Amino acid sequence: MKTQESVDAVTLSVVRGALAGIAEEMSAALIRSSYSPNIKERRDCSCALFDAQKRMIAQSESMPVHLGAMPFSVQAALEEFPALEPGDTVILNDPFHGGAHLPDIAFVTPIYSENELIGYAANRAHHADVGGSTPGSVAGTSTEIYQEGLRIFPVRLWRAGRLQQDLLDLILANVRTPRERLGDLRAQMAANGTGVRRLAELIEAHGLARFAQITDEILNYSERQLREGLRRLQPGVYCYQDYLDDDGRGTERIPIQVAVTLDQELGEVTVDFSGSAPQVEGPINAVYAVTASAAYYTIRCFTDPQIPPNDGAYRPIKLIIPEGTIVNARPPAAVVGGNLETSQRIVDVLIGALAPLAPEKALAACQGTMNNLTLGGIDPRSGEPYTIYETMGGGFGGRLGLDGIDGVHSHMSNTLNTPVEALETAYPLRVERYELRPSTGGRGRFRGGLGLRRDIRVVEHKATLSLLSDRRIGQPYGLFGGDLGARGENVLIRGDIEKPLPGKCVLQLHPGDMISVRTPGGGGYGDPKEREEALIQRDLEEGKSSDKQVSPER
Amino acid sequence: MRIGVDIGGTFTDLVAFDPRSGRLETLKLSSTPQNPAQAVLQGLQALLDKLDCKPTEIGQLVHGTTVATNALLEGKWARTALITTEGFRDVLEIGRQSRPELYNFFTQRSEPLVPRHLRYEILERLDFRGQVLRALEEGGIQKIAAKLSEEEVESVAVVLLFSYLNPSHERRVRELLGAQLQDLPIVLSCETLPEYREYERTSTTVMNAALLPVVNHYLQELEEGTQQLGVPTKWRVMQSNAGITSARLARQAPVTLLLSGPAGGVEGARFIGELTGHPDLITLDMGGTSCDLSLIQGGRPRLTSEGQIAGRPLRVPMVDIQTIGAGGGSIAWLDAGGALRVGPKSAGAFPGPVGYGRGGTEPTVTDAQLVLGRLNPQSPLGDIPRLDLEAARRAIAEQIAQPLEMSLEEAASGILTVSEANMERAIRVISVERGYDPRVFALLAFGGAGPLHAGQLARRLGIPTVIVPGSAGVLSAFGLLTADLIHHFVQTVLQSAQTLDWEQVNRIYQEFKREGRRRLQADSVRPEQIAFVPSMDLRYLGQSYELSLTVPDRSLGTADLAELAARFHREHERVYGHAAREEPLELVNLRMMAVGTGAKPVLPRRAPGRKAPEMLGKRPVYFAGTGWEDCPFYGREGLAAPARLEGPAILEGVESTVVIYPGQSAQVDAYGQLIVEVS
Repeated sequence: MKTQESVDAVTLSVVRGALAGIAEEMSAALIRSSYSPNIKERRDCSCALFDAQKRMIAQSESMPVHLGAMPFSVQAALEEFPALEPGDTVILNDPFHGGAHLPDIAFVTPIYSENELIGYAANRAHHADVGGSTPGSVAGTSTEIYQEGLRIFPVRLWRAGRLQQDLLDLILANVRTPRERLGDLRAQMAANGTGVRRLAELIEAHGLARFAQITDEILNYSERQLREGLRRLQPGVYCYQDYLDDDGRGTERIPIQVAVTLDQELGEVTVDFSGSAPQVEGPINAVYAVTASAAYYTIRCFTDPQIPPNDGAYRPIKLIIPEGTIVNARPPAAVVGGNLETSQRIVDVLIGALAPLAPEKALAACQGTMNNLTLGGIDPRSGEPYTIYETMGGGFGGRLGLDGIDGVHSHMSNTLNTPVEALETAYPLRVERYELRPSTGGRGRFRGGLGLRRDIRVVEHKATLSLLSDRRIGQPYGLFGGDLGARGENVLIRGDIEKPLPGKCVLQLHPGDMISVRTPGGGGYGDPKEREEALIQRDLEEGKSSDKQVSPER
Repeated sequence: MRIGVDIGGTFTDLVAFDPRSGRLETLKLSSTPQNPAQAVLQGLQALLDKLDCKPTEIGQLVHGTTVATNALLEGKWARTALITTEGFRDVLEIGRQSRPELYNFFTQRSEPLVPRHLRYEILERLDFRGQVLRALEEGGIQKIAAKLSEEEVESVAVVLLFSYLNPSHERRVRELLGAQLQDLPIVLSCETLPEYREYERTSTTVMNAALLPVVNHYLQELEEGTQQLGVPTKWRVMQSNAGITSARLARQAPVTLLLSGPAGGVEGARFIGELTGHPDLITLDMGGTSCDLSLIQGGRPRLTSEGQIAGRPLRVPMVDIQTIGAGGGSIAWLDAGGALRVGPKSAGAFPGPVGYGRGGTEPTVTDAQLVLGRLNPQSPLGDIPRLDLEAARRAIAEQIAQPLEMSLEEAASGILTVSEANMERAIRVISVERGYDPRVFALLAFGGAGPLHAGQLARRLGIPTVIVPGSAGVLSAFGLLTADLIHHFVQTVLQSAQTLDWEQVNRIYQEFKREGRRRLQADSVRPEQIAFVPSMDLRYLGQSYELSLTVPDRSLGTADLAELAARFHREHERVYGHAAREEPLELVNLRMMAVGTGAKPVLPRRAPGRKAPEMLGKRPVYFAGTGWEDCPFYGREGLAAPARLEGPAILEGVESTVVIYPGQSAQVDAYGQLIVEVS
C-alpha cells in the first residue's frame, strides 16, 4: 500500500502518534495550569495543531462540541491577520467570527521555524464568566448577542511576544471574576506555547518539505479510513425531525430536521439541515461551527472513533446548513444555548436518522440537554461577588445489549460535577439532595438511563438564578419499540410551596429558596416485552424502577 | 535472614538475604492463583531447605501481594453496605457524572461496589465548617443495623458529608452499629481518607470496606501457615506507596495495597539507583503484554494521590505508574488507513509470539527482535527450548512486509520503531507532562523485554544513561527487602494561607506524628530510626488543583509564610511554566509521611573479573540506519567489573537480552549492574 508521496507506513504511524501526542501535551498543560474548576476539573477545553495551509492536522481528545469548531477559529483569526508574526497570539470568542458561544475563548498562535511559517497552535476553553446580563454568561432569556457578554472580535492579545496589557485590562474589566479569568488566559497561552515548541521540534526532526509530505499523507489517511467506515453503512437517504421545547421567548416546538444521504460508492455522506426552523429570538441559536461539530461527532461514533480527527477526516462529510436558521444563525442572534442545548438536539436528530441503517451501532435518545444552571450574588461570608455555573447529567439512551447509564453527561458534554463539599466551601449555597430519579428511564428491552435530581438552597443572601434547559416538554425518544424517557423538571421550593419553573428563565431567589433541577431520563431501546426478567427484578430490588408496569411518561 | 516474597500473575519470586554474610539467594516457582498463599508457603519451605536455614532464623518476612487488586478485578469483593447522609446515597454511582469514553455509544461505568439497595441514608448534616446543621437521628441507625444483618452484609462503609472536618457523627454511627453487630467490619471515611470531595472519599472508603474481609482472610491464612512452618516472625506487607507496613495494620487498610506488587519493583529500582549514584530514574518494566513506567526523583518514587483502579478513583498515595499496552507480545497490524500499528492487542504469554512455536500466528514485537538478530533463536526463553526464526520471518514477511512493499528488515525494524514511539510517548507523559525533563534522568530497564529497547528509547529522549540491574527478574522481590516502613497521613484544612490557623496546623501535625510513632514503634522501629516528612498541598485561591510542598519538621507559624509562598511560586513555575506571585494562596491539605528506616541490605561487591569479556560469537544483527552488521554477543552472567563493551553488542542473559546500540558503550559495575552510556 505504498502511497504516491512515498510516506511509508512506519513514518505515517509514528508521526500520527507524535502529532496526537503534542495536542495531548498542550491539553495537559492547559488543564494543569488553569485556575477555574470548569477547565481544571471539568476539562471543558480543547487543543489543536494546524499546518501552514491552515489545515487541522491534530486535535486532543476533547469536548465533542469543540470537535469541528477549531478550524473556524484559525480561519477567522487569519482573515483578520493574514500575516501573523512570531510571538503574536490572536484571541477571539465572537460566535460569528470563529467562535461558538461567548464563554468559549479561543487562542491562535503561529508557529515559526527559522523565520518560516510552519503552522498554528490553537486552543479554546470555556470561561465561567465573560460578562453579560447574568453571572456565568449563560443567560436563559437573552435576545441578542450583546446581552450575552463581552464579544471579542479576533484581536492580537500578544504582539511579537509582548502581552497587550491595555487589551487585557479591557477584557478583565468586562468580566465578573477577573482574577480567575486571568489565570485561565495564562493557562491557554501556556498550552499554545507547548504546541509551538513541540511542533517546531517535530518538524526540525523531519525537515519542512518532508514534513509537509507526511502531513498530506496523514490527512489522506484519515480521509481513507472515514470513507471506508461510511462504505460499511447502508446507502440511502434518511430523514429525521425532532424539536426543541422553546426559546424562552414564546416560540415553542422548534423543529430541527436533517436528511442524511449516504453515497456508498464515493464513501461520502451529505448532511442537509434544510427544513429546520428559522433562527429564534431566544438564546438557543447555533452557529455553523456548532452544527458542524455535532455532525462530525455523530459520524465519528457511527464509523471509527480511532480515526485521527483532522482536516482529512472531514473531507467526506458534506454539510448543507442554511443560513438564518436555528442551526446557522446570523448576527446579532443570541447563541449561548446553541452550543449547550441545540447541539444536543442536532445529535439526537442525526442519530435518529442514522439508527435504521445501523441498529447495532445506535442508541436511543439521551437526556438531550445539559441543564445549565447559573447562580450568582454577593457571598455574605466575604462580601465578595461569586458566580457558579453547573451542568447536570441525566439518562443515557438504551443500546443493543446495554441499558442506558444512569445520571451521566451525554454526547456533546462530559463535564464533571462540582463536589458538594467543594461547592459549599466556596459558595454560600447548600446542596440538599443529589440523587437518581427512579423510573425516569424509558422502558425497553434495554431501558434508558435515569435522570438526576439536584436541590440547591440559597443560604442567607439573594441570588440571581439563570436556567437554560430543554426536554421539559418534549421527551427523549426511544428506538425500535423502546419508550420515551421522562421529561425533566425545574422546581422552585420556597417555604412549603413547590413552584414549577420553565426550562429557560432568569429569576431572583430569596434567602432560603431552593432550586430543584430534575433531569430527563434516556429513551429505551427495543420492545419492553422482551426485557429479561432478571433485569426487571434487579431494577425493582435496587429501587431504580418502582413498578415494572408503569410507563415513565408522566 | 530476611526474606521477600513477590507474587506475580505467572511466578512467585522469593529473595533471601543474609545480612551477616551478604549472601543473596533467589527462588522462582509457579504462582497458585486459586490459593496464592500456597505458593508462598511452598516457596518458603523450599528456600529454607535450599539455604539449610532454620525457620527461627528468619528475622524479617515481607510480602508483595496482588490479592486486593485481583479481588477487585475479578469482582470477588465482600458484600458491602454504605451508610451516608440523607439525599446522597447515589453519589457512589453518579460519580462525577462523566462517562469514561467520549466517542463510544457503548461506554460503561464500572459497577458500584455497593448496589443501590445496600446504600442507606441517615438523617444528619454538617456544614462546610464542620458544625452540626442537623443532629444525628439515632433511631434510624437501629433500623439499618437490623437490615444489615438481614441482608447478610459482610462489611460496612460510613461516609457522611464534611466528616473530614468533624468525625463525631461517623464515630457515633460506628458505636451504635457496633453495639448491635459485633463482628461486622465498619470502615469510616474520616479515618480512611479525611479529605474533601465526597465522591472520591466515598469510593476510597467503600473500596477499603469491600476488600477488608478478603485481605484479612488471606493475611490471616498466611500468618497461620508460616507459624505452622515454625517461623516466629510476623509478616510485613508492601504498600502502594513503596513503603512497607505490618500485616496487622495492612489488614485494616487494604486500600493501601492495590499497587503492592508493582511498588516492590519501583522500590527495588530506587535502591539500584542509589547504589549506582542515580537518584533520578525513569523505570521501564516491559513484559509480554504491557509496559509499566514510573519516575523516581531525588531518591524517592514519585507518588500520586489521584490514582484509579479498574475505573474507580482511589485517593491514597501510590506510586505513579503509567501502564501502556506495549510488550514483547504486542501484535503488529495494518489499520484501515494503511498505517503500521503495534498493540494494544497482545499475543500474551500464550500462545505468545509466532517465534514461540505455540500456535501464535500474528507477528509481534518479539518476532521483530528475533528477525533482526537481537534475540538468539538457539537460546532457551523460559520453558521454550528454542525460538522458531523461520516462522517469525514468514509471519512478518506475509502480514507486514509484502502488503507494505517493504523488505523484511524494514518491516521488522518498523515494528520496533512504532512500538518504541508508543513507549516514548508514555515516558513523556510521566516526565514532561508532570514538569520533569527526562534528559536529567537515567533509564532503568527491566522485565523480559525492557533491556532490548532501553538504549534506543534513551537515545530518542536524550536520556544519557541506561541501567540494567544485575538480577532484574527478582527486582520486585528484592525491593521488599530494601523498603522503609512508611505511613502517610492526610487532613483537609481548606483555609486561606494569609489567615491560617497555625495552631491548628501544628496540632494536626502533632497528631500525625503521635499516630506515626505509635504505628512504627508497634512494628519495633526504634525512636532514633523514625523520621517525619510533613508537607502541605497548596494552591492559588480559586484553583481546584494543588501542589505538594514539603515543610520543615518543626512548629510552624506566620513567619514561615513568606518562604513557603516563594517556594510555591517557584514550584508552580517549574511544573506549569508560570507563577502568579501577587495571588493569595490557599492551604488545602496537610500531609505527613512517617518513615521508619531499617537496616538496608549491603550487597557484596563482586570480585573483579578478567579484563576482556569473552565473546560467545558473532551473528548478523540489523540496526535501522546502518543495516546488517556482524555483531558480537556475550553471556550476561559471565561479565564482571570492570568489563567494558562497545556497541553494537548483544548481551544474552537468562532473564533478558540487552542490546548495546551502535555508538553506545556499556560497563559492568562492582554489583553486576550494567551501565550503558548512550551518547
